[in-house]
Amino acid sequence: MMRFRIAAALWAAVAVTSLATNAYAQTPKPGGHLNIMLREDLSQGFAVHETSTISTSYPSLPCFNNLVFFDQLKRTESVETLVPELAEKWSWQDNFRNLVFFLRKDVKWHDGKPFTSRDVKFTFDMLREAPEAQAKLRINPRKDWYANIEAVEAADPHTVVFRLKRPQPSLLLMLASGYTPIYAAHVPPASYRTGCVGTGPFKVKEWRKGEYVDYVKNPDYFIKGRPYLDTLRYVVIENRGTRVSALQAGKLDVSFPGETTKTASEQLKKAVPQLVVTPVGQTVSDNIIMNVKKPPFDNPKIRLAVSYAIDRRGLIQAVHQGGAVLGASLAPKPWGVWGIAEPGLQPLPGYGKPADMKDKARKLMAEAGHTPEKPLKVEIVTRAIAVYVDMASFVINELKQVGIEATLKQVETAQWHAMATRGDYQIGANLTGLGVDDPDANFYENYACGSPRNYSQYCNETVMKMIDQQSQELNPQKRLEMLAALQKKLEEDAARPILDWKLDYFTVWPHVHNMIPHNNIYNFGRMTDVWRDK
Amino acid sequence: MKTYLAQRLGIAALTLFGMSLVIFVLLRLAPGDIVDILFSTGGYVNPSERVAIEKELGLDRPLWVQYVDWIRHLCVGDLGKSYRYDLPAWEIIRPLIPVTVELAVLSLIIAVLLGVPTGVISAVRQDTALDYALRVVSLAGLSMPSFWLAMVIILVLVAWIGWIPPVTYVSPWENFPLHAIQFLLPALAVGYRSSALMMRITRSALLEVMREDYIRTARAKGQAEKTVIWSHALKNAILPVVTVIGIEFAFLIGGLVVTETVFNLPGVARFLVQAISWRDYPIVQNLVMFIAVVVILSNLTVDMLYGVLDPRVRYGS
Repeated sequence: MMRFRIAAALWAAVAVTSLATNAYAQTPKPGGHLNIMLREDLSQGFAVHETSTISTSYPSLPCFNNLVFFDQLKRTESVETLVPELAEKWSWQDNFRNLVFFLRKDVKWHDGKPFTSRDVKFTFDMLREAPEAQAKLRINPRKDWYANIEAVEAADPHTVVFRLKRPQPSLLLMLASGYTPIYAAHVPPASYRTGCVGTGPFKVKEWRKGEYVDYVKNPDYFIKGRPYLDTLRYVVIENRGTRVSALQAGKLDVSFPGETTKTASEQLKKAVPQLVVTPVGQTVSDNIIMNVKKPPFDNPKIRLAVSYAIDRRGLIQAVHQGGAVLGASLAPKPWGVWGIAEPGLQPLPGYGKPADMKDKARKLMAEAGHTPEKPLKVEIVTRAIAVYVDMASFVINELKQVGIEATLKQVETAQWHAMATRGDYQIGANLTGLGVDDPDANFYENYACGSPRNYSQYCNETVMKMIDQQSQELNPQKRLEMLAALQKKLEEDAARPILDWKLDYFTVWPHVHNMIPHNNIYNFGRMTDVWRDK
Repeated sequence: MKTYLAQRLGIAALTLFGMSLVIFVLLRLAPGDIVDILFSTGGYVNPSERVAIEKELGLDRPLWVQYVDWIRHLCVGDLGKSYRYDLPAWEIIRPLIPVTVELAVLSLIIAVLLGVPTGVISAVRQDTALDYALRVVSLAGLSMPSFWLAMVIILVLVAWIGWIPPVTYVSPWENFPLHAIQFLLPALAVGYRSSALMMRITRSALLEVMREDYIRTARAKGQAEKTVIWSHALKNAILPVVTVIGIEFAFLIGGLVVTETVFNLPGVARFLVQAISWRDYPIVQNLVMFIAVVVILSNLTVDMLYGVLDPRVRYGS
């Protein structure tokens, strides 16, 4: 009995020591430096509002703050994971017509000037191109996000009211995107192309063009004791092999969002087993754009045949080696919040058994007057970038099996968007990234009549009504149902057939803590809570 | 000599003028411009915003006005402003030049140190096992692109010892040993290819000279074989090697794109490619002109060296 008591006491002591050690190991340590991967130089400096590329938004995140932001420690992004940043709290009023933000009073810009409601009004008047805006952006890619804002009022220095034309619960999510930082009113917007005056946890120390961006801790950050790290360096490495080697060799601590494929992560893990790999959704889809204003894709039967012809599962295996998932126009759970899960996709064009789907496609092609003897000849365009070309090559092979002979035309990045916006193409293999996993951000941008990013130029009044209705729906469950119907409608119309949603295998060294990747590549990396124990 | 130099400088000026025209026209012939790229990063196009940006950057002016404006500013040392970075072009170009020049010079030193002695040995030991072995090594050097070798170096290092050279530029004043390592590996990758070329040129030139009467005379006079080879034969065989060195240097200044990219060195060539893909005309035009000046100057230097190395060479007649 005595021996048992001693053994029990020893076990308890070991357990307590182990728990204490774990607790100690998990206690954030201040100080230190991180090297973070960047795959290309900042395309427009820190001018986040003038670009839609992660190469600008990701390395700019530590400099800025939003009114609200997605919880950096939670992988999923939704209304439930919103946390205050520059706004201490917020309140929907007048049946979701007015959104009131109560701002923090202890925030300073990096140049020492106080942050006030004037900065918020300045930013959003500029973004929505209000007549009273004090500044204009050179390029304004997300103007459509704010189309429902009637006015932004600075009620007092620390209160801002967003007056909406109609209820729009999605607005909060768009305000939380990495693409929606608050700019300083006392600084010209153009100056963000060369430097950064923000309120964020880190200040820009130096931007060596084509080499790196160095940050130092902001000692006046409004959250006391944050950030933990002293310095950050975003290292630009354009060669993919060198990037991966640098991560493997420990020259970099953190990979780049959306950069690590399944195969690459497996190789890395094999070489360095201690690396921490987290599979997450990118909110980037492979999709087909078909110009509905030009023959032959003005014929809905041919569009539908294209959608039926492409074996999505085959594409995921052949092109992404399993590193992507099936989904319609919104990313499916658990990688997204609003998308249709796989069982629901089964009846939609292209998601059934490949042989059956191809039969249907051939039948549709025959109805449109095309047979194997008289194939439809088209030109498929894509960007001259490997990820686009690989996908396009797979698609060409699939189309050939249903009587569509497609030749590939690779288009340089410099021409791609101009060509797509003008509609100077028949059919294209495209990638679309969503700034935020939100129905409004996606549908108004990519499917709404007249939107410059609606490359297919698909315009359907019924669909527009469905988009508006879901946008105003305040009951989340009801909204989910409406969104399922909308997604089905879009796939049945082959408006922009979605082929897959890509996954990222975000990789960090084990000494990096609290760098939690999100199911969206654009909205994590503020670095406030990140720390290292080495 | 003065007349010759004046002639060469005159030709150089004409060449530069021609180059400026060619690069200006070729850049404008390439599809798309900086405005397209800017909209590309935004993912859409807006015609009215497009017009405003064209006006802001001066791209709405007639081409000949843009050309004259560039040359006029270039003549007074004003390289214009980078479209992409919104900063003076010189501010961006200046730090790139020492990196590329250092890498090119180091590569050439390695090439000469490896290529010339092996070329001499190969010629002296013609048709022996050693000659064959050295020829195989040199053929391998010519067959392996330096960028491939660079990538192999990186991959082998990371796979075997889990280490690669620094991925951000380390200044020699900051940490010389690390700086040396950072440059030595790419220089070896590039220098090996160049050394193969130099080895073959040295070998063939030396073989030709070794058959000359004055070499036989030197040997007949009882001079040591070492003296015959290094003092008499090599001195006369070196002119083609010097020519190759000049050409290689000029080539390396603009031709290190992939090596700089693989080793992540912030040099001229890597930046030039980025600038081309961004259609950043002021950066591209001025970098190409810089490379053209280097080519002209290195050729001129080689021609001047002929006179030093071989007193029989006369200029200006």
